[in-house]
Amino acid sequence: MAMELRMADFSSKLVVLCSLIAFIIFVILPTFYLISYVFLRWDEVWYEVFANPIIGDENWKQIIKVLLFSFRLSLSTVAFDLIFGIPLAYVLARKKFPGKSLLEDLVTLPLVIPTSGFGFATLITWTTIAGLGGLLRLRSGLMSLNTMAPFINIPFVLFIVHIALTFPYVVRTLETKIQSIDVTYEIASRTLGACSLTTFRNILFPLSLPGIFSGAVLAFARSLGETGATLIVSGVSATASIAIVRWASEFKLSTAAFMGSLLVLIAWVIILPAEIYVSRGRRGSGIPFSLPTNLVRKMLRLERFLSRNFSLIKDVVPLVIVVITVIIPIAVVLNSVILYWSADPYTGKVEGGVMYQLFGPSNYFGHLLRSTLTSIIVALISTYISTCIAIPISFIIERRWYGRIIRTMLKVPLIIPTSSLGLSVLLLWGSSGLNLVSSGIWMIILTHIVFSVPVIVESIIAAYEGSGIQMYEESARTLGATAYNAIETVSLPLIKGGIFTGFILSFTRSLGETGATFIVMGRDVTIPVLVVNMVEALAIPAALFTSTYLIILSLVMLSIIRIFTRG
Amino acid sequence: MSMVKLVNVTKRFGKIVALRGINLSIGDGEYVCVLGPTGAGKTTLLRIIAGLLEPDEGEIYIGGKKVNGVPPERRSAVYMFQNFALFPHMNVWENVSFGPVIKEWDSEKIRNVTSEVLEMVRLGERRDAYPNELSGGMQQRVALARGIAAGARILLLDEPFGALDARLRVNLRTQLRSLIKDQGLTTIHVTHDQEEALMVADRVVILREGRIEQIGSPQEIYNNPQSIFAMSFVGGANFFDGVVYKSDSSGSTIEIRGGLSIRVLDTTKKIGERVVIAIRREDVSLGKSRRRGFNNLLGEVVDAMFVGGSIEYVVKLENDVSVSSRILLEGGDSRIFRRGEIVIVSFHPSECRVFQYPERGLLKEIEAI
Repeated sequence: MAMELRMADFSSKLVVLCSLIAFIIFVILPTFYLISYVFLRWDEVWYEVFANPIIGDENWKQIIKVLLFSFRLSLSTVAFDLIFGIPLAYVLARKKFPGKSLLEDLVTLPLVIPTSGFGFATLITWTTIAGLGGLLRLRSGLMSLNTMAPFINIPFVLFIVHIALTFPYVVRTLETKIQSIDVTYEIASRTLGACSLTTFRNILFPLSLPGIFSGAVLAFARSLGETGATLIVSGVSATASIAIVRWASEFKLSTAAFMGSLLVLIAWVIILPAEIYVSRGRRGSGIPFSLPTNLVRKMLRLERFLSRNFSLIKDVVPLVIVVITVIIPIAVVLNSVILYWSADPYTGKVEGGVMYQLFGPSNYFGHLLRSTLTSIIVALISTYISTCIAIPISFIIERRWYGRIIRTMLKVPLIIPTSSLGLSVLLLWGSSGLNLVSSGIWMIILTHIVFSVPVIVESIIAAYEGSGIQMYEESARTLGATAYNAIETVSLPLIKGGIFTGFILSFTRSLGETGATFIVMGRDVTIPVLVVNMVEALAIPAALFTSTYLIILSLVMLSIIRIFTRG
Repeated sequence: MSMVKLVNVTKRFGKIVALRGINLSIGDGEYVCVLGPTGAGKTTLLRIIAGLLEPDEGEIYIGGKKVNGVPPERRSAVYMFQNFALFPHMNVWENVSFGPVIKEWDSEKIRNVTSEVLEMVRLGERRDAYPNELSGGMQQRVALARGIAAGARILLLDEPFGALDARLRVNLRTQLRSLIKDQGLTTIHVTHDQEEALMVADRVVILREGRIEQIGSPQEIYNNPQSIFAMSFVGGANFFDGVVYKSDSSGSTIEIRGGLSIRVLDTTKKIGERVVIAIRREDVSLGKSRRRGFNNLLGEVVDAMFVGGSIEYVVKLENDVSVSSRILLEGGDSRIFRRGEIVIVSFHPSECRVFQYPERGLLKEIEAI
């Protein structure tokens, strides 16, 4: 018996060891390689970035300029998200009304739609006659790509796209947080005489501060790292993550790597404090300062006034934002595909129609079929491998003392810009690093694994923590199940929903990823990249068709997710 | 022969010592209640017997064999959680047949055992129901059936009635006990409810801060508590803090606060020693006249509470110390006292237990509850 026990102990240790090794090789190493690359090849970086004999430190100036622009964009986006996302999250968490789940789906939609398709839809809507311009009977688009939004000095279309793509992070994170707060606190506050705004400020806001914070961090990271849509709508301005893509394609690898590691470091500086803050927040958070009494009195009066007279605004404005940023672009794209089906509706040229571009001499339909195949193979293989790594890793996170460390490390691939990630994978596995894989489908798979594992792990852990698995497993053990039996018959079936949800989420994410894929794809093109290529080749009708195709694909995905998360 | 035996078992969690040198031996088929306040180490004790935790020191024997290091699945000790931990994704039949299936018995045998056990707990008709469709009492029976089908010899019950409402609890106690006793299972039942422990147990173990305070039959525990803690935790009592000032062969006299003196039969304490006198509430009577051979103290009724078949009075003595008295309401002759009435509080010297004054103070011993 002792022998047998030692074997069981040994094999469980072996499983843990193998999972950890796979985890480090496939997830952690690519995440951190970029930084070590900069250190290892500091001479090259120095030469290219700071001391180029011809252009001097021009590249460094570029980096600074691009970083500053990115920060301005991301911070304004997050500020906007918070102002309008908090009331929306509150409504979704606390109110019941017809069409609520539809609204939730609409808010979540930009998370699922491949961003290049979504970016294209927004572009068409705002800057062409097929969009809002036509609707308002103008001769051209409503604005150009370079029209600036007032005060923040950021191109308007870029700002809109970033809001749409980051809004779900703030709203959904906060919604979950508010749902977890006992509604009786609010009721108590209201019965004690506070109006709804005062209740929010004194009760809900302090209690949901960790949720607000983590939603804001996610939105910020998302905006900082967004590539797919940004590539399409950025016009002449460059954000940090698309600068990496451009430099990498111009073989300015050292500059790109330096910038990439700066972004990784910035991401770290943001999440570490956030992690610490949020974990402390569980023990209760409060606002650590108090306000002077006369100010409080004024605020109370103002809050009472606003609660009484303007409560409709806080419900309606977020709704309008969702309509403008999400529904209209999608509607415009669908409408345009029909308009452009056989020929350009404005010039009447057949060459400007969807059919001609797909099946004509440029044969975009063939490209589309091939890239669909590539995308699906990549998504299936990378998601499958990621699930195999994610399941044991989730158990390790829950059961071992070092689980927290792993979980924190797993946040990194989620928040560093994917173009940095792609660059890191290229440098690690490609010809300038280990030289094991060359650009192409296998490298895309390796890249997608890096961000798929955290997505699946988060989803499994959510299922795990809600289900009291520890107790069920212990119960199974005392009933005669071995540790392995207990996991197989009790734990896995209990977290099955979490595994499926994670699988679909990661599949969707892989299907829509643009930034990293651009850098590592070689000649194997995925669908979102194809959209960018089409836009750059000015094959607008073909891009319209492909975007529609992507949007429909992601709607199917979304409905699958809903079925699983409900069941 | 003892079925479960613990020798010198100690368990620490960091700086906290959950169990300190526990020695306990439980006979085959015995029903033992482990009684103690929250944080006494009750659940830790159960988990160590189940094999879900390993002790830091000491040995555990099950059926005479040492089981330190043996995983839970080889101990035949089934742990029943407070909310029963029925697997939510399996129906009643699958839950009950879990043990036999895991042990890879042949399908004929699995079917026979499962249906037999289900009949026994009278749930044969609900075999297709899922746990969330069953009442609390039914869930408990399924959990019991599941344990029996898995071949349990020892049943470990962790607050088995904690998740049920108060009225149901009382009915289920006796039901569960008789089901278990019919099967001849050795049972260790953990609870913080003294009434429950006294009602179902063959033997009660009082656990406090990781130590065994007292072991005995329910009657022994109630009638002959060995410590201030045991007496106040099980049944409760009046406690007076005092000093022995006279002692002879027939008893001693103890002076309590305010110069009042109380006569007790105990002769083991020396003159000048600080002691605690304890008297059960039902041993204190109230009246209008002094009773011969009793301790008689003057006081004023400050509160009277009706508790079912009896009344509990709180009387404030001349020295400002309060005494509780529980008086059974018997037909006719029982007299009811009103608030503010002056009464004579009487109790017999033989009902007074005398304990050494505790090192940490009297309040600490009573307030730990």
